[in-house]
Amino acid sequence: MNDHGDDVQPELRGRARRRLRSSRLIQYLLLQAAITVAGVAVLLQSLPGPPTQYQVTAFQLTEAGAERAVTLPYFSPLRNAMNDPPRFRGHFVRPAGEASRAWSVFLPRFTNGVEVTVNDVVILDSRRDPAANRPDRNTPAIAVIPASVLRDGDNAISIRLFIWGPITGFLDRIWVGPDEALRPTYNLRTLVFVTLPVVFSSWQAILAVILGIMWVMRRHEPAYGVLAAAMAVGVGQAFLQTPMDETPFSRFNVILISSAPIESALVLVFALLLSGWKWQRYAWIIFIPGIALALAGLFGNQALVRALFLILAVPMVGISLLIMAVVTARSALQRQNVASFLLGCAVTIMLTCWIVDLLSVFQMMPNRIFTARLSYSAMLVAIGAGLTWRFARALNQVDGFAGRLVTQVREAEEKLKASFAREEERARAAALARERTRLMRDLHDGLGGQLVSIVALSERGNGSAGIGDAARAALKDLRLVIDSMDDIGGDLMLALGSWRERAMAQLRPHDIALDWRAVTAQGLPVHPELRPWHVIQIVRLLDEAVTNAVKHAEARRITVRIETLVDADGLERGCITVEDDGRGFEIAPDGGAAGAAKTARGLRNMRSRAARCGAELELSSSAQGTHKGTRVRLTLPHRFPDSDGAAG
Amino acid sequence: MNSLSDGPKAEAITVVLVEDDAPTLWRLQDALAKAGYQVRAAGTLAEARACLAQGAPKVLLTDLQLPDGHGVDLIRETRRRFPDTEIMVISILGDEESVISAITVGATGYLLKDAFPTDIAATVRDLVAGHSPISASIARFIVRRTQSTPEPPPGPALNTTKLTPREIDILWGIAKGFSYAEIASHLGLSRQTVPGHIKSIYRKLEVHTRGEAVFEAVQQGLIKL
Repeated sequence: MNDHGDDVQPELRGRARRRLRSSRLIQYLLLQAAITVAGVAVLLQSLPGPPTQYQVTAFQLTEAGAERAVTLPYFSPLRNAMNDPPRFRGHFVRPAGEASRAWSVFLPRFTNGVEVTVNDVVILDSRRDPAANRPDRNTPAIAVIPASVLRDGDNAISIRLFIWGPITGFLDRIWVGPDEALRPTYNLRTLVFVTLPVVFSSWQAILAVILGIMWVMRRHEPAYGVLAAAMAVGVGQAFLQTPMDETPFSRFNVILISSAPIESALVLVFALLLSGWKWQRYAWIIFIPGIALALAGLFGNQALVRALFLILAVPMVGISLLIMAVVTARSALQRQNVASFLLGCAVTIMLTCWIVDLLSVFQMMPNRIFTARLSYSAMLVAIGAGLTWRFARALNQVDGFAGRLVTQVREAEEKLKASFAREEERARAAALARERTRLMRDLHDGLGGQLVSIVALSERGNGSAGIGDAARAALKDLRLVIDSMDDIGGDLMLALGSWRERAMAQLRPHDIALDWRAVTAQGLPVHPELRPWHVIQIVRLLDEAVTNAVKHAEARRITVRIETLVDADGLERGCITVEDDGRGFEIAPDGGAAGAAKTARGLRNMRSRAARCGAELELSSSAQGTHKGTRVRLTLPHRFPDSDGAAG
Repeated sequence: MNSLSDGPKAEAITVVLVEDDAPTLWRLQDALAKAGYQVRAAGTLAEARACLAQGAPKVLLTDLQLPDGHGVDLIRETRRRFPDTEIMVISILGDEESVISAITVGATGYLLKDAFPTDIAATVRDLVAGHSPISASIARFIVRRTQSTPEPPPGPALNTTKLTPREIDILWGIAKGFSYAEIASHLGLSRQTVPGHIKSIYRKLEVHTRGEAVFEAVQQGLIKL
């Protein structure tokens, strides 16, 4: 890489990052455009209506003192017409023979209220239905015409349209016909425009509770608190009633009107906080439209509130949606955050519905179905899904963290165990060394000195050589016990070195040569598991072999061969062979020596010692021939047993 | 100890023998006298000092536990007054506890109290000839000390830092029971040079003065200044 490489590389990387980001932006925008197109396509679909034969569209309208013929649907230019509402007069025909069936009047959509009269009898006043009084809901109305009022042939129908703002009046086409023909359409509209919003409002209530608890438990995340407040405002708005009459409480009811700007402001603050924005004091301006509207409701009259609603609330909702669209898009693109992405899609749907609603208010749409409020449910679904996603991700992180913690604890535990084992081993070795030192001093001061005295005294007396030999043997054994307690680090060769010295001292008076042959360079393999009691068994076994050669075989030369054998599995095993050129003996079928009972016992001892150490003992002896003598071959185990359990 | 060599005539050779157990003293004295050495026997530290006052012996054989003191002090004094005297410890078990402490003040090996008379004479003869014997168990103790361990091993203090790798190799060979000839051939040495190396090992393990002891303690990190 040349000198410029370091400068070029970051630039290339930056360009690649920019390209990636712009491609992501394009993908996101394309997806939002597709959502918008799909939304518009759905909104342009007209809802199914009853059979057109029952449709009544030709009316004589009396409005503001003037009378003219109109065809429904009709957009009234008036914003307030409570005292002199527009009156629609029309006719419908009930064919003969229909008397047996109930007939109804079905009004799918009107703003703000209707009073229907058939043959001068009032059969419906929508103003008594609070849900129907809210212009943002597309509540339909149906009324069964009492049979006594109806007559075969021509019937008169009259509709008074009450308008109280904030938008202009509207009356969609009406249907008059058999109830069974009209009812399904009415039910469908009720389901979509009345029941469904209630369901979503319940969902909103649940969200309000969940988010409220979340905020109480996690006070450092104000986003949840803000969203809980927004949900609570929405729920209150949906379930509180709005009576038409001016009552002392209607001033408080009017606060409900301010719920839309307040709720949208809260949701906007939530979206900002979610995208990492920090609360600033100037951000209170977001709430100004809502608060202004509420104050107007408290201290002004309803006409003022309705006028303000149009210029404060509607734009507030739109502006909030626009800001949220930008913020969530940025958050979704930069952080690759699923919650923001879902929220962004929901905002796009809402924005589309809001624009369509606005067009409808300005009579640029053939009908007047408001969907902004309904599309808010998309936002609720997105919030629920986003919350669940975050919760699941947090759980996964906790699981991962817990898993890592468990692994770390296990590792630490193992390390601790190993260190404990090491420490224990060291403490054991130290204790053994201390014990050995103590034993050595005790033997030195007592038994050892006494035995030496016995040796000396027996030599002076001349007549008791047996006692001297026994005392000398006892001293030799004492030295072996002390020696085997020494820490030889698993190298049996170190124990054999001392044994060689003792054996030579034993053989010298008998004029027997000791031929020491280490066949392999390192001698025997090192066994870290070698314990003092293994050493003592092996050394005593070898002593036994040498003593047999001295006492019974009349040997002139003893050869000790030390080697390391590698078996078929590649495992190393030590092998010690003690060979003499003595008389030899016959080996009985049971493995013991035939003849001398003492030799037999010696052989049995040797076998038992070998078995305890997990070693294999091989005995061969011949009394005649060139290869006469005895051979003891001890093959050590690959691993010495931990306990003395193998005793046999 | 295990090599028998034909030394010079022993008439003029004086041996001071210090042993408090009477039968053992007689036994050793007999063995040495029969081999032709001139033996001055002592049963206590005071007697031993009186013997040494008569003049420098060629060899000092001393027990460590004496009724009126410790043999280590006697060895240290003798080493200072008579540098040419060969010193050996008489030990019951040949254990490093007693032998190593004697080596660090100037002794060269040990003699077992129950050794056969011929072996006793042979050992002294070899010593006089300049062949310092070293047993497998003592060699083992020394080489185990040359291996680094996290904490000081139990037993008497011993400074092995001055030993050369070759000397440590020789000690390993002795500890594992190899003869001088085998060690020499393994290490590519002449068999005759091995006793010289062993003498050198003994000298390096000796702590000469108090100042040197402090210096070595600092070197080994036992003392922080």
